[in-house]
Amino acid sequence: MTSRVPARNGQTDWNAMLARVSFIELDARARAVALLDDGTARELCGPFDRIESPWLEPQGVVPESDDGVVVVKGVLGGRPAVVIAVEQAFQGGGIGEVSGAKAAASLSLAVRDNREGTPTVAVLLLETGGVRLQEANLGLATVAEVCAALLELRALQPEVGVIAGTMGCFGGMSIAAGLCSTLIMTREGRLGLNGPEVIESEAGVAEFDASDDALIWAIDGGAQRTGTGLADVLVLDDVTAVRSAVIEAVGRGVPGEHRSRRIREWRARLDAVDPADPPDPADLATVWAHAVPAEGDRR
Amino acid sequence: MTASRGPTGAAPRDWTRRRTAKRERLEAARPFVSGRVLDPGRMRDALHALLRPGDRVALEGDNQKQADFLAAALADCDPDVVHDLHLLISSISLREHLDVFERGVARRLDFAYAGPQSVRMAQLLADGTVDVGAIHTYVELYARMFVDLTPDVALLCAEQADHEGNLYTGPGTEDTPTIAEAAAFRSGVVLVQVNRLVDRVPRVDIPGDWVDLIVESPRPYLLEPLFTRDPRHIGQVDILMAMMALRGVYERHGVTTLNHGIGYDTAAIELILPTYGEQLGLRGKICRHWTLNPHPTLIPAIESGWVESVHCFGGEPGTERYVAARPDVFFTGADGSLRSNRVLCQLAGQYAVDMFIGSSLQIDADANSSTVTEGRLTGFGGAPNMGHDPHGRRHASPAWLGLLTGEAPALRGRKLVVQITQTFRSGGTPAFVESLDAVQVAEDAHMPIPPIMIYGDDVSHVVTEEGVAYLHKATSLADRREALAAVAGATPIGRHMKEQHVEALRRDGLVALPEDLGVDVRAAKRSLLAARSVEDLVAWSGGLYDPPARFRSW
Repeated sequence: MTSRVPARNGQTDWNAMLARVSFIELDARARAVALLDDGTARELCGPFDRIESPWLEPQGVVPESDDGVVVVKGVLGGRPAVVIAVEQAFQGGGIGEVSGAKAAASLSLAVRDNREGTPTVAVLLLETGGVRLQEANLGLATVAEVCAALLELRALQPEVGVIAGTMGCFGGMSIAAGLCSTLIMTREGRLGLNGPEVIESEAGVAEFDASDDALIWAIDGGAQRTGTGLADVLVLDDVTAVRSAVIEAVGRGVPGEHRSRRIREWRARLDAVDPADPPDPADLATVWAHAVPAEGDRR
Repeated sequence: MTASRGPTGAAPRDWTRRRTAKRERLEAARPFVSGRVLDPGRMRDALHALLRPGDRVALEGDNQKQADFLAAALADCDPDVVHDLHLLISSISLREHLDVFERGVARRLDFAYAGPQSVRMAQLLADGTVDVGAIHTYVELYARMFVDLTPDVALLCAEQADHEGNLYTGPGTEDTPTIAEAAAFRSGVVLVQVNRLVDRVPRVDIPGDWVDLIVESPRPYLLEPLFTRDPRHIGQVDILMAMMALRGVYERHGVTTLNHGIGYDTAAIELILPTYGEQLGLRGKICRHWTLNPHPTLIPAIESGWVESVHCFGGEPGTERYVAARPDVFFTGADGSLRSNRVLCQLAGQYAVDMFIGSSLQIDADANSSTVTEGRLTGFGGAPNMGHDPHGRRHASPAWLGLLTGEAPALRGRKLVVQITQTFRSGGTPAFVESLDAVQVAEDAHMPIPPIMIYGDDVSHVVTEEGVAYLHKATSLADRREALAAVAGATPIGRHMKEQHVEALRRDGLVALPEDLGVDVRAAKRSLLAARSVEDLVAWSGGLYDPPARFRSW
């Protein structure tokens, strides 16, 4: 499931590359609107509702009136949808009490709509370093609420996560990404539980060199994550391509078994990797392809 | 008068002492040499044989490429054997460049730039470990190699050599021919580390009879991509400044020949030529001939037909295939690859281009600028060479004549020297200050004069996000200061400026705000950039540009 760089006669079509409209260039609000069918977008709890974090100003951070999460309702490929977009430009997309509550509440409202007969799908645009450090435990609690709401909603409707870049998706919100029915990435997107800087500061530069972009993308990058099954669709950084991929993913409906339920499969893959002698990132897909759960493994 | 007596009747003088010394040095190194080729495993012994205490040694640390294998070997020398060397290094880039002093192998230093090692440089100077002769500009240091600083030994680097010593530098020629010439033609020893020893070099950048010894380095020499700027990091304010620079300077003065310093602000200008510049109908009217490295951000302008020629100081990693495929634009050899040359490009930048534009860390009320900040001794590099009005110029051009100065009959034009900067740097540090840190640094380090990068009286224009100051139009020092203050925003220099004064300066044409230039501030968006990512640059190049790993966010 890959929408690659446009090709013509086997050659990359560079003109088509340049003619594309970059999704990455858009801010969270514009991304959400660009995904929805024309003229259907309607923002909930927008900046003029002035619901901002009370915790930032005392710590010397200027708050924003949407707290960095944009919730937009509308129609996606003809179906009712809610898009939850994290703004990477505000505090690195960190999730605080208010922004987390906005995300969790919108997902819960989508659950209610579904139960009351309006089949609403959810799309999450995840550009976030995880929990906002200034709001520590409150942020952690809301990320847990987001995950709980995702679990509730995904039984009813597909949930599509998009990690376009350039921030990527890390920390607690990477768990939320892991719960999505379909995860779409560009090759500039990154996905990981711990961000490169966190690993380096905790375990040392020998463990992970956070200045080595080639290494970071070889492990966390969209091509690697889709190639190894931790994400599903690799898409070009192009508004039309991202929107089509999202609509396609919604069309596939609720998967028979969610990725996060395939525990035996993931355990077998973990067992196939020796942390003391890890495979080259480029070889991981092959290593994992041969990691089949043992018969009768009921762990 | 006998043959053995000179005209004064004094004892005969030996006129070939340097030549004799060179012969003796090479003789001493013979056990480690086969033909011209040194055994890389015996580098330390070879240097012990070649070098004498007090020697003047040019170690090739260019702006970009570094003779790192030889630098490490020099730092490894026994200070009992080799000591009190006088090093000439244009760019102090490697830790080994300063290890040599800490280990007592070298004592005196003449240099031009110390970017990555600037903090340690300042410490070693304060501790008295290094004796600094002077901090130069690039061409100034090379010039002195032909006057009073001729090297006894030159330690250089190149891409390839053949067994006759012919050198191939590839795109990164930079300073190798210049240093080699200074040493080779006054009986200095020329020793070159090469990435590869080959039977036949693709082209001869330096002829073999200038070269005494070659050593094949175990690793390719270090080369940093210093001139690559990722368009992702260009913000709206950079774009606004770029628009004002295009309208208020490039278009107004019809600048066709120019040099760009490196930075996001100038990268933004390069990237809006095919969009904003095209809308203004300026293609063919400005920016036709360039002296600058192969900036990847110039690719879209080249591809859109803006650029007729580019001469380069050095190469830039990743641009090799692209440059080789555009020989009408770039200077390339018969082998196809770029030929750069810093001294000639500097010369071109001084006498043949109408404009220099670049930015500094600090600018004072008189437009003096400096990149020296407390605790750092960065030096100058080449910016002062490009960023001044050369009084040796006589040919006229419309841009040069547009800044006509002097009293008849001694009329002359003037080079445009443009400073472009946001009023505040990241972290809220003001770019416009009452006193340059350089003044204090000069006092602390007992320098004869403060290390000013570009002198204020050479600066003709200052561009900030507030507007453009036309300093060349000021008739008094007070006017100059007011014009500068008018674009200095809320910094200590700008914050006391009164609105009615700004109005008067606008009326007199000393200052232009965006609306005076017809620049729509709302249009300053990233969509105006012809390329918004490194990937876009690759696409513009048709896949010919190979960005270094650190610039690939995929």
